[in-house]
Amino acid sequence: MTNLILRTNKGDPDTAYGETGANYITLDLVTDYIIWTAGSSAVADGQDEPTQDELNQAYPIITTSDLKVAHCLLYDYSANKLEEVEGMGLNKRYVFCFSFDGATASEPQLEAWDDDGHDSVDNNVLGVETGEDSFVKAVCTTLSLPGADWAGDPIAGTDVLLLNNGNGALDELVTGETSQELYANIKVVIPANYDTPAIETFILCCRYTYM
Amino acid sequence: MKSLYTVIFNDKSSFIGGTFSETKWLDIPNKSIKRIIYSLPNGDNLVLNGYLKYFHMCEAVTDLSGKNKGKTKLEFDYIMGKKDGIVTCYKININTKNIEKILYKEEDKFIEGLNKQGWIGKEKEEEKK
Repeated sequence: MTNLILRTNKGDPDTAYGETGANYITLDLVTDYIIWTAGSSAVADGQDEPTQDELNQAYPIITTSDLKVAHCLLYDYSANKLEEVEGMGLNKRYVFCFSFDGATASEPQLEAWDDDGHDSVDNNVLGVETGEDSFVKAVCTTLSLPGADWAGDPIAGTDVLLLNNGNGALDELVTGETSQELYANIKVVIPANYDTPAIETFILCCRYTYM
Repeated sequence: MKSLYTVIFNDKSSFIGGTFSETKWLDIPNKSIKRIIYSLPNGDNLVLNGYLKYFHMCEAVTDLSGKNKGKTKLEFDYIMGKKDGIVTCYKININTKNIEKILYKEEDKFIEGLNKQGWIGKEKEEEKK
């Protein structure tokens, strides 16, 4: 069975995983979690786990123009601190890293759903059943930079992001390698004057196949 | 644990498959296949007979957030047979145990995107060479 490991960049988002100088955090997905936030003194890189009140005070506020949620923070349970995901939403290539320890049978893809049932996209953040209205934008950066001011593809439900740039499955590992990496950049953009403020959670997931 | 499948070769030998966590699909000897007997989640068997090439894959989802974050859940299993440019695909829902039969053309994007290493089986003529 091929396994997936998610890593986020904590160093230079121009440096791929495994290259000299790379600094990635390997997520323990059971205990670590990702926070999209406007940020505050308490909800910031280096701070300890925020309380619900602190998170509430750092929620993004809907404005008269499209608003990119300013920060993506990883709560690193083992270190008990928040870590900024470097390069999120910027013209940076190596931000969210999907490591596979073997071949896949088809191309891995990134998806967004309301919950772990993986069968509904009713949340506002996911476009209320209209995938193209999803606030969650993603771009595959496995082969290249996303470009300045990248728009990305809205992802929600069956609107997914192929993580190998449409080039299909991953082959067996090259001799001597222990993993192979695919990359994406992801951001959350709240439309201007959006009329339904909400506290919502959604899930990101990676769907992949193995032989 | 019951094996996922059994491969019967034209030379009358056989190969016992593995489990969802270790399918052994890529360990199947490269020779012509008479049939594959696939064990369905409901306990029944599905026989694929007379195809030239066969493909099997498991589809897993890993949640990066939410209450099941970090858990990899198997959602679908696929067993396929290819002959005369047509791929017969059985898509099996692991949870509901429903089976969907889908016919693809060899040049369909879904089929072309599959890992070519995963197609097993050999034409008899190919084997004689």
